[in-house]
Amino acid sequence: MESFLFIGLPYISIGLFLFGTIARFRSSLYSISSQSSQFLEHRALRWGSTAWHIGIILILLAHIAVVLAPGLWTGLMSNKTILLVTESTGIALSLLCLIGILVLAVRRLVFSKVQAVTTNMDLVVLGLLFVQVGLGLAVALKHKWGAAWATGTVVPYLWSILTLKPRAELVTEMPLLVKAHVVGGFAFIALIPFSRLIHMLTAPVHYLLREPQLVVWSNLSRTREAVIAQAYDSRRFFLRGFVATGAGATMLAVGVMDKLVRFFQGPKLSKEQEAALMEEKLIRIKSTVEQRELEYERLKNDYIYVCRVSDLDARVGRYFTDFEMRPALAFRDEDGLPLLISAKCTHLGCTIANELSADGKILCPCHISYFDIKTGQPNEGSPAKSPLPHLDWVIFDSQGNLLAQRNSSGVTIETKDLALLLQQGSLYIVKNLDKRV
Amino acid sequence: MKVRAQIAMVFHLDKCIGCHTCSVACKNIWTDRPGAEYMWWNNVETKPGTGYPTKWEDQETYRGGWKRSNGRLKLRAQDKVSALLKLFYDPNQPGLDDYYEPWTYRYSDLFDAPEGDDQPTARPVSLITGEYIDIEAGPNWDDDLSGSPVYAENDPNLDKLTEEERAQLFEIERVSMMYLPRICNHCANPSCVASCPSGALYKRGEDGIVLVNQEKCRGWRACISACPYKKVYYNWQTGKSEKCILCYPRLETGQAPACFHSCVGRIRYMGVLLVDADLIPEVMQVPDEGLVEAQRRALLDPYDEKVVSAALRAGISEEFIEAAQKSPVWKYVCEWKLALPLHIEYRTMPMLFYVPPLLPVMGKAIGKAYSNATEALFTSLEHSRLPIKYLASLFSAGNEEIIVAVMKKLMAVRYFKRAQELADVCADEVRKLLREADLSPEVAEEIYKMTALPTVYERYVLPPIQREEMMESFCDPDLCKGTAGVELVQLNRRSS
Repeated sequence: MESFLFIGLPYISIGLFLFGTIARFRSSLYSISSQSSQFLEHRALRWGSTAWHIGIILILLAHIAVVLAPGLWTGLMSNKTILLVTESTGIALSLLCLIGILVLAVRRLVFSKVQAVTTNMDLVVLGLLFVQVGLGLAVALKHKWGAAWATGTVVPYLWSILTLKPRAELVTEMPLLVKAHVVGGFAFIALIPFSRLIHMLTAPVHYLLREPQLVVWSNLSRTREAVIAQAYDSRRFFLRGFVATGAGATMLAVGVMDKLVRFFQGPKLSKEQEAALMEEKLIRIKSTVEQRELEYERLKNDYIYVCRVSDLDARVGRYFTDFEMRPALAFRDEDGLPLLISAKCTHLGCTIANELSADGKILCPCHISYFDIKTGQPNEGSPAKSPLPHLDWVIFDSQGNLLAQRNSSGVTIETKDLALLLQQGSLYIVKNLDKRV
Repeated sequence: MKVRAQIAMVFHLDKCIGCHTCSVACKNIWTDRPGAEYMWWNNVETKPGTGYPTKWEDQETYRGGWKRSNGRLKLRAQDKVSALLKLFYDPNQPGLDDYYEPWTYRYSDLFDAPEGDDQPTARPVSLITGEYIDIEAGPNWDDDLSGSPVYAENDPNLDKLTEEERAQLFEIERVSMMYLPRICNHCANPSCVASCPSGALYKRGEDGIVLVNQEKCRGWRACISACPYKKVYYNWQTGKSEKCILCYPRLETGQAPACFHSCVGRIRYMGVLLVDADLIPEVMQVPDEGLVEAQRRALLDPYDEKVVSAALRAGISEEFIEAAQKSPVWKYVCEWKLALPLHIEYRTMPMLFYVPPLLPVMGKAIGKAYSNATEALFTSLEHSRLPIKYLASLFSAGNEEIIVAVMKKLMAVRYFKRAQELADVCADEVRKLLREADLSPEVAEEIYKMTALPTVYERYVLPPIQREEMMESFCDPDLCKGTAGVELVQLNRRSS
């Protein structure tokens, strides 16, 4: 289901959008219009349409800016003031949009003249836009600082879609609201060519540069004659046209040839570059192997070795990977026994830092949540709302005898020789401890 | 000199009887469709009156046409940036209420109503919503209602009159009126074209007809407020703008437009004018009083050798030049200087000219009898029933001298012919009148003939638009027969 929503749906939407738009522009230009109903009703439209359009255009431009220049955007958003201003502007604009579209929707349902030009698709579009803007606002309010975190999560996902290497896992772990907003966005893209939304593709920006008067000659041969006569009258016109066309054509030809030649020659690398490339590939393969080995180990074994009990530290936790391939931390508790806690932040899944603060808390560096390692609870007012879970463990001696274990009912020590346990014992995490022992 | 051919028109208002045959001919051919019911590409108004749409001349509200600013012409409605903001909501666009809500009657009720105590009636229903409506306005709602305090007194052209003049105009026994038939002026400097954000409106190079490309129009509606004559209409059903096309499919086959063809009073003339396109920006910038003269300066003499050779160089065919030489419009506008543009102060350089009406000006009520003869001749102009100032506000941007000159000519021609036919005006008087009007007896005779006795071929001098020749450049005329006008309509392809 998720791979359909986050890989299938995007490609279906983009495909529908591209083919639908091209088909509509090629076959039925006549059908493309803003379909303004100001003529039939203008009092409500004045407020609704203006509020909606100003709000949504600015919001969409901001969305596009994030996707196109995430680096620049992250830089800007690292400034706290800018981040604050951006977030509050965004919230204000989406409120403006919501009010606008509400006015437009009510107007469409109330005035009988406007009803006369309302299609079912208009109602679908109004509904979808309302839900989509509402979701966007909800995300902004519930999961704060989206302007900052989006560059690390949703933007790479969108790029992975656009570069045809879809990585749904970048969003599948996100909160439900964010996921719904992403899905809504793709539904919106798919609707564009089949509804009045297509008018936004014909925004008349070229008007800014246009000459005021427009004369069209029906007779093609006369058009040619007119051009020649004009050229005859003013050489400058001809020269300018010639130079501009020539320059354009040359640049185009050089660009195309450059790509063509390189394509047929193949890449040419120096020895150093080749070696570096090879090294890079090897490192990537090795890390994949390590990853797969860890996964294999966790599939095959019921116990996974973490470290010796004596190696644990009270202040600096040891990272290890649990059975679900998630990061976790191992500390030495006050009684010398191990304390294992998940290191995956319950907010947006960042890995938590391993140094214990003076008041016994660990920090998620992404959005500054502090977690108490005793209880796992985040501090008051942090972005994360739920506690980090503790992990179960067992300790064996070198002969494989069970010395101690922790499960949901608590810690049980099986040996009398506590010193031996602390010096010689080896710490393991265990799959489904409760059922096993 | 950049010569352009322009199909231009003259309406002779003295001959208009206000019968609306032109409007109905146009409606039946072009605007009898869903979304276009309220449109009247041709309409006839009673003046003084508020017109259609109501108070269309009030440019404080609608902001149509051009204004002068720092030595340049600028659209009154918008600059380039505000044009983009107005896409969402255009504060100057007239709404349906400014025209009227189109309606029909439930005629079927007359036959299907169950038996009852009352006569069945056909109640009016809106053509937009299909609901019952109370009719509150209609096309030409103020027809013949001059003197009405609701309609005539709100005519924006009366703003320049003094209280006294207004009181006189509406004095019950003096009330007078005239008819003003209006179609698209096919301006040489159209503000609708300049305002269109999508570039859908354009002027045809060959004949100067202003058209809306329906495939390019995106319904941004800028043209509707930018046209000061309110002759571009928004089709509420298709979401596109529409306007008078000067019946170009008829013109291309050598027929006069439907409104011309059907005109009962034969008030309409059509012919070619040669316009110097290079001069247009310059002549449209002179102060208001000079605009009529300045516009004439941009119209080129078709008999001038230099103009003819420049026209040929610009690709205008010899047939067009010949038509320009025979054009009744050239005679009325530039030779006789009788025909004047409507509201030239909007600076769009309209190509439809009006011969102002003499009758309400000349007529007087002496005692209870209506008298058309004048003892003091020209002094009556100052005491005319329809003030010269009012006509000047319509036809000469407030320049009363121009109107007086036209009236003198019209009156001189009338007395010249009266002396010939009835011999009740003495010859000296007539000579004096002609001299004061700056007319020779030959020209007066010519004006009389063109006004009273023209044949259909003298009224409509239509150049051949050479469809076949135009088609040749993209398709064999034999193959494209029936599929192409001046442009390719649609190629008939064999479907697979």
